[in-house]
Amino acid sequence: MQQEVVLAMLAKEPSHGYQLRARLRQALGPLGEAMNDGQVYVTLTRLEKAGLVTAEQAAGVADRPDRKVYALTPEGQQRVAGWLAEVSWPRPGLSEFHLKLVAAAAAGLADPLSIVDAQRRELLRRLRDAQRAALAEPAGSAATLLLEGIVLRLQADLRWLEACERHWTRREDDS
Amino acid sequence: MSTSSPPMLRAQGLSRTYGRDAALVRAVDGVDLEVAAGETVAVMGPSGCGKSTLLHLLGGLDRPTAGEIWLSAQRTDQLSERALARLRRDGIGFVFQAFHLMDELTAVENVELPGLLAGHPPRAARRRAAELLDQVGLADRARHLPSALSGGQRQRVAIARALSNQPAVVLADEPTGNLDSEATLDVLRLFESLHTAGQTLVIVTHDARIAATADRLISMRDGVFIDETRLTGGTAGDLGSLAGLEG
Amino acid sequence: MRGRILLIARVTARDLRYRPAQAALLVLAITVAAATLTLALALHGVTSRPYARTRAATHGPDVVAQLGGPAVPAQVRALAHAAGVIGHSGPYPVASALLRYRGRTVPLEAEGRDEAPASVEQPEVTTGTWVRPGGVVLERTFAEALGVRVGGRVTLNGQALTVTGVAVTAASPPYPNLCYSPGGGTCSVFDLPDMRFSPSDYGLAWVTRPQARALASAAAPPWYFLNLRLSDPARAGAFASAYGKAHPAASAPVLIAWPSIAAADGLLVQDEQAVLSPGSWLLGLLAAASLAVLVGGRMAELTRRVGLLKAVGSTPGLVAAVLLAENLFLALLAAAAGLAAGWLTAPLLTGPGAGLVGTPGAPSLTLRDAGLVVALALAVALAATLVPVIGAARTSTVRALHGSARPPRRRATLIAASARLPAPLLLGLRLVARRPRRAALSAASIAVTVTGVVAVLAVHATADEKFFGGGNGLSNPVTDRDGQVLLVLTVMLITLAVVNAIVTAWATVLDGQRAAALARALGTSPRQVSAGLSVALVLPALPGALAGIPLGIGLYAAANGAGVLTVPPGWWLVAAVLGTLLMVAGLTAIPARLGARRPAAAILRSEFG
Repeated sequence: MQQEVVLAMLAKEPSHGYQLRARLRQALGPLGEAMNDGQVYVTLTRLEKAGLVTAEQAAGVADRPDRKVYALTPEGQQRVAGWLAEVSWPRPGLSEFHLKLVAAAAAGLADPLSIVDAQRRELLRRLRDAQRAALAEPAGSAATLLLEGIVLRLQADLRWLEACERHWTRREDDS
Repeated sequence: MSTSSPPMLRAQGLSRTYGRDAALVRAVDGVDLEVAAGETVAVMGPSGCGKSTLLHLLGGLDRPTAGEIWLSAQRTDQLSERALARLRRDGIGFVFQAFHLMDELTAVENVELPGLLAGHPPRAARRRAAELLDQVGLADRARHLPSALSGGQRQRVAIARALSNQPAVVLADEPTGNLDSEATLDVLRLFESLHTAGQTLVIVTHDARIAATADRLISMRDGVFIDETRLTGGTAGDLGSLAGLEG
Repeated sequence: MRGRILLIARVTARDLRYRPAQAALLVLAITVAAATLTLALALHGVTSRPYARTRAATHGPDVVAQLGGPAVPAQVRALAHAAGVIGHSGPYPVASALLRYRGRTVPLEAEGRDEAPASVEQPEVTTGTWVRPGGVVLERTFAEALGVRVGGRVTLNGQALTVTGVAVTAASPPYPNLCYSPGGGTCSVFDLPDMRFSPSDYGLAWVTRPQARALASAAAPPWYFLNLRLSDPARAGAFASAYGKAHPAASAPVLIAWPSIAAADGLLVQDEQAVLSPGSWLLGLLAAASLAVLVGGRMAELTRRVGLLKAVGSTPGLVAAVLLAENLFLALLAAAAGLAAGWLTAPLLTGPGAGLVGTPGAPSLTLRDAGLVVALALAVALAATLVPVIGAARTSTVRALHGSARPPRRRATLIAASARLPAPLLLGLRLVARRPRRAALSAASIAVTVTGVVAVLAVHATADEKFFGGGNGLSNPVTDRDGQVLLVLTVMLITLAVVNAIVTAWATVLDGQRAAALARALGTSPRQVSAGLSVALVLPALPGALAGIPLGIGLYAAANGAGVLTVPPGWWLVAAVLGTLLMVAGLTAIPARLGARRPAAAILRSEFG
């Protein structure tokens, strides 16, 4: 479970460990089944050690991670803001981007549409580079094939981003 | 964005509406556009957003309900039919999604059509057509009828035809809409080479790959421009990571 | 400029090469229309000018005087020197005689003439030579009705004579109107009527003067014809009636003015006019309907071509030129073919009905007539060009390109109603509903055809009553001619109807081939599809055929001027309607089957430029 995702989930307000887990589950839908619950708590512990979150134990409750109340530190907030503005693209792992949008919308930190647009622009530029490189290769070169693969995946990702845009536009219209 | 030289193509407050009252459709609603010489601009958007209508307006195939269009500093939206025809012949090359070649003419005869219409001597028109077909890689299919050509080949013939009279601007409406990925690649290569040669291009497309050949990408929805992106300039990552290489 | 001409020529040639069927249909439709017009003009020429030409060629008289009795010489002197008379010929003795030829006996009047030509009223010999001793010259219509040629031998009052020639005259109406009354016929009032014969049995012949006197007898003395030329021919009628008022006695000469003769001469063709006028309207309507369907059927293709040419940069003028060139070429070709066809069939009509100057067999087609036919063809070419050009000009280039300039109509009720029908009827009904105007044109064309057929049937139903001149066993040239004209008219009507059916079939199949291909792709068998196409073509024909029955009866009544409605026998009408429907079904079966068998993929794929 990516650290930044967990941080972003806490951006709206501090929450218990189990609340965090529930929110993640809900955002991932059926894919949430595949989520390892333990991973969430491990990540939370790491984040606490790194000083990005604080953990408070409610009085009179057992010392268990799911019962602790976690909150972002100023460094944690900075980390979240930087992550939201990032436009790097992971290879697989659509869930991270998806959760980024969910968290941004829930916490009101950023407009999901502008995140999507920024990412689209970046992908288009990369598509252009990859395509140019592919066309510059001599005919029949093996590298063309690889570049072609990159192009096609980017094309597919761009289509998904269009779908994201449509979805988040509708949600904006509805709200 | 604007350079010292005036824009090759300019539209201001361009609108096209259909119907009346309750059935009023604003296909294009107050669009402003400037295309510099040698620039490639791509317009993307969902179906029905008006991008094809916009292109038809720019190409003189349809008359705007409001707004102005300027091509090479000449106002085009109020020209007579005859003047518009001359414009389409010499100033603008149009590439359609459905190719629209004349079925009964061979490839080279289709390409030399604008030349003959412009009154060029037949031999000169034929020579130019042969050159263009060579440029698009179809020299060996010059005498074939369109029915004997694949979709990609037909579209390349159509592009060659659009270039016939050395137009100031080439307008392409979903040029790869009916093509498979192989044919799309051929057309892509063509557009890249045209871009390198300094041809001004305005392309309307669904296909991100075609859009990626552009210098500027405009997003359109419900008849208006909603976004504009410069695609030139560096990227935030490298191709290696995209390919799965740890870098 | 050379490039543009090359372009026009190339597009025309290619279109003809790759779409010959369309071109052939256009040529066919215009050819038939042109041939019809040519025939009509030839007929009109035959029926309108000839008396004037005969009169000019024979130096026809302005007034013909019939004289008899003892006072003839004095009457001749008085007339020859009357005020306004500047010339005369005669008096010529006339005897009545019985001619026998090949077992037939016919009455005639034989006029005795000089061998040398007269200055006023000299009959024009069209075959053979003028009178000589032992010979007789027959009036042309009479000779044809008799069936005798130059060189044949006849007996006149028992005397054997050789037919030396055949001639025409303007001084007398031709057989069988010699005795036409009132006023124009020149059967002499001084002749004793032979009760065995009716007035229309009498013929006219010329012999030498001595021969004429020999034919007369004490019981049947000769009377005389005197031909007068007036200083003012226009006053011939006034001259004749003034003389008649001034000399009311029974033995006074009877004067007949040339306009009356002309009117009687024209009787030969009056009946024809009654047939030709409505007939040519029917033909005209059919031809126009065919051409309208043809132009409509080509609209989609031509609109697309106009859109494409405009998109590539053709000026409107050049677009029109490209379209016009092809249409013009085909139209002129068709005009030439139509003129030739008309010329070749015109002799059928200009043959008998002589009494007119002009060699039988050579149609009286002038340059002006040919010019009219060519003008018609050009007008059609122009219309066939302008309709798509203007249609495309009214929509944007884009819509023209996509062929949506004339989208099919939608009738929701028909679509819903046809949903419950079996596949062929469903398909057929919806195809008809797509193009209501074409269906209406088709129904109208069939109605016109059946109207004509029913009118012709009505004529035949009353044929017995129209018989006259039966006493001498000779065929009556009037009814002969009427019958021939009717026949030719009927043939032309059927031909045009056939062309119309073919054109409509082609247009419907072309328009419906996408729907048919879709139906086949969705599982309809080719047989069902071709049945559907046939239904689409026969369905509009039914109301048209039924409507044609009352229309045809009404047309005959109107043309005849009779107050009574002639209804042909019922089973004739049923046969006519069924025959028409069968013809439509039969003619359209082949295009329908062809349309149903073209590979669906080819049709559906060809919608992408």
